[in-house]
Amino acid sequence: MSVLAVRNLTKRFGSLVAVRDISLTVDAGELRAVIGPNGAGKTTFFNLVSGFLAPSTGSILFDGRDITGMPAHQRVGLGMARTFQITEIFPELTVFENIRIVTEVAAGYRLRPWLNRAEAADIRRRIEETLALAALSDKADRLVGELAHGDQRATEIMMALALKPRLLLLDEPTAGMGDQETYEVTQLIGRLHKDNKLTIVLIEHDMRVVFHLADRITVLDQGGFLAEGTPPEIAANEAVQTAYLGQAA
Amino acid sequence: MTSAQQKHLAVLLAIWGALIFAPYWMPLFGGYTALGSRVLVLGLGAMSVNFLLGFTGVLSFGHAAWFGLGAYSCGLALKFVAPSTPLGLLAGTLVGGIAGAILGALLVRRRGIYFAMVTIAFGQVFYYIAFQWNSLTGGDDGLRGFARQPLDFKLFRIDLLHNDVYFYYFVLICFAAVVAIMAFILRSPFGRTMIAIRENERRARFLGIPIELHIWIAFTLSCFFMGFAGALYALINNFADPRMLHYTLSGDFVIMAVMGGMRTFWGPLLGAVIFVVLQDYISSVTVNWMSFIGILIVLIVLFFPRGVLGLLRQRRTA
Amino acid sequence: MLQLIFFNITNGLIIGAFYALMAIGLSLILNLSGVINFAHGGFLVIGGYLAYTLTPSLGFWGALIVAPFLTALIGFVVERLLIRRLYGRDPLYSLLLTFGLAFIIEDGTRQIWGAQGLPVSVPAALSSPLSYEFFFITGYRMFMVATVAIVVGLLFVLLRYTRIGVRIRAGTLDLDTVAALGVNVRALRSLNFAVGIFLAGLAGVLAGGQLGLEPTMGDSLLMPSFIAIIVGGVGSLTGTLLGGLLIGVASGLTAVIFPSASEAVIYVMMAVVLLVRPRGLLGEEGMMT
Repeated sequence: MSVLAVRNLTKRFGSLVAVRDISLTVDAGELRAVIGPNGAGKTTFFNLVSGFLAPSTGSILFDGRDITGMPAHQRVGLGMARTFQITEIFPELTVFENIRIVTEVAAGYRLRPWLNRAEAADIRRRIEETLALAALSDKADRLVGELAHGDQRATEIMMALALKPRLLLLDEPTAGMGDQETYEVTQLIGRLHKDNKLTIVLIEHDMRVVFHLADRITVLDQGGFLAEGTPPEIAANEAVQTAYLGQAA
Repeated sequence: MTSAQQKHLAVLLAIWGALIFAPYWMPLFGGYTALGSRVLVLGLGAMSVNFLLGFTGVLSFGHAAWFGLGAYSCGLALKFVAPSTPLGLLAGTLVGGIAGAILGALLVRRRGIYFAMVTIAFGQVFYYIAFQWNSLTGGDDGLRGFARQPLDFKLFRIDLLHNDVYFYYFVLICFAAVVAIMAFILRSPFGRTMIAIRENERRARFLGIPIELHIWIAFTLSCFFMGFAGALYALINNFADPRMLHYTLSGDFVIMAVMGGMRTFWGPLLGAVIFVVLQDYISSVTVNWMSFIGILIVLIVLFFPRGVLGLLRQRRTA
Repeated sequence: MLQLIFFNITNGLIIGAFYALMAIGLSLILNLSGVINFAHGGFLVIGGYLAYTLTPSLGFWGALIVAPFLTALIGFVVERLLIRRLYGRDPLYSLLLTFGLAFIIEDGTRQIWGAQGLPVSVPAALSSPLSYEFFFITGYRMFMVATVAIVVGLLFVLLRYTRIGVRIRAGTLDLDTVAALGVNVRALRSLNFAVGIFLAGLAGVLAGGQLGLEPTMGDSLLMPSFIAIIVGGVGSLTGTLLGGLLIGVASGLTAVIFPSASEAVIYVMMAVVLLVRPRGLLGEEGMMT
């Protein structure tokens, strides 16, 4: 069964059609990249899948279950996690505290007035593991708001990961980054994908990242579906090249 | 113990030292013990507001309602039910908290300034009721005819009514208890979700935290604290009046929190100290104290929004 | 009995028109700038007192016209110097600022004009009743309603058909887009604020003629304005207008049955609206949350 199945998804804002009749299926363990020129509707698509926007028509199935009407925080409960184009973290808390909140919520402790010794130790261990995975251990006590962009993004990804999601949605994870940071984040995502057999859907503009990571690529253009296939297939696809003509790769 | 922890401990010791020995050093500066009790209780009110405002990021501007409710409930309990101080306090706390829980459920779906507006309006409902329901509340003249009762421990009695110093320590113990609970909650996993909501509500929502529920819980907790503070306040002068429900008092609490430092734990208490002292001083010197308070508020908002402790904290990390 | 009800409904409409005038000004400022103007009552008071001071030299009608404009000017200055700095920040701060301003204004008016209530003289032509039958509808009250109707009507026309009006309405919905389209948002906000204050000042002049003047009168009119907005729906000016009229009428009607509860009823209405339709009668979902 596919992890995510989207059928005829459409979103209209008045007379403006942001997303038009999109259908796709993502299988377990797959890393799917969603690409397209600016204005193709990629972030709107993410907002629909994650529950920030309600679709005009169409349906969304998560692990076979219809979640089309479900509010965002419930989708999280089902195993969907997401990062945002503009890094959404808790800026005036430390890296450790950021990860801690997520870990505690994921462990079901969000309403707890206290944790016993064993629980607290378990949480601490999980936080430290998460930090190590992203090489953030030495930055654990720094305020996230003060970190370099790449580290903030890494923190955000690890927060999403701490939710132990079935599906991870990454919205332009390398946006605004220089080469070195892009490389590091790409490596991190690749590692997470391989080591945890995570199902990931990724919006990206940077083609190097896309072609390095993706198992399959879906191309959107002006809100609609353009093409889908493996990286070599997409690279050779003329319609895709035409859509991108004039766009920096 | 790390140096940060050492500093923290030193600060705590200084604060509690000052509070414990207040009846002895206050007179040196022209203060008097009842003033200390008043500052403690108002400080508690400001800290309760800050529980919601500074730590959850929710703009509740009508919080005096629960304070006043607590005050009236305490007075009414002492007057009509039984002459027992603990009962009065319990009554105040419960009424404030439960009323807050009910109203909070109505209001949590809204946020930001709309929430502020509605909380103000609701606060005024209670003000209006207290004003109009003459026969019960004494209307504009306020509720009288009750007094704080001595604590009877069977083996010995502590006269709270006639001995200001005993009463001050009673208030201090109550203050300490509530403050301990507040600190405990803020350090708990639940408390951390409150802070998360303040830091980035959208992110918190998309971590699976049901924002409305958590805000409601925080709101209700802060209303219990406010009710308790209000009950204590009624005991200070053995008096409750509609002004304890008016939105200007709500504003005062918020000012205290902002002045002292909204994002700090002890800031509101410091703000209460400054505010009460200033108000006392200014109103004894001039009839125009309202203008001065107003100007002070404007200046703080424009130039010192982080408050005293906020500024100190910034300077330390800079 | 019927006449009593009629009396109270008319009374209620008159009060309601008044509440609506205040509330619309408040709503304008709230919608575009996201500021809850606690000082709105204070500007009402300023308007009334200014009219009082100007009447000897300009006469009743002169003062009626000039005082609101002067008040609006003061509001404009306040916005430019003080409130403008707080737009980017947490809405708490603008709320506190107007709160502090309210204190300053109240004390200031007390200082300048004294704490005593001041009587306001109204032209004889207006203060006589319209007819024996409807003795309670004095000329002044009709005049008040007429003025409110004209001004509010003008405002709606302005908002609908002039360029500035359209910009204000667009700005209420999406300020970023309006800014991106090249509109000077800061000037727009200042102007919008001034318009809101103009309405408050006008309300003050009218109130003075009806109730006399005293420094604390702004307070008692501020809460009903809040409630008018909540009942009518945040974000909708028509809703606010409707809300004001509704609570005025409800208040008037209640005065027939249960006189001491006539103020309470507006709070009850607010509670009902919040329970049954939280966004208000004409409010839009998602505004101001």
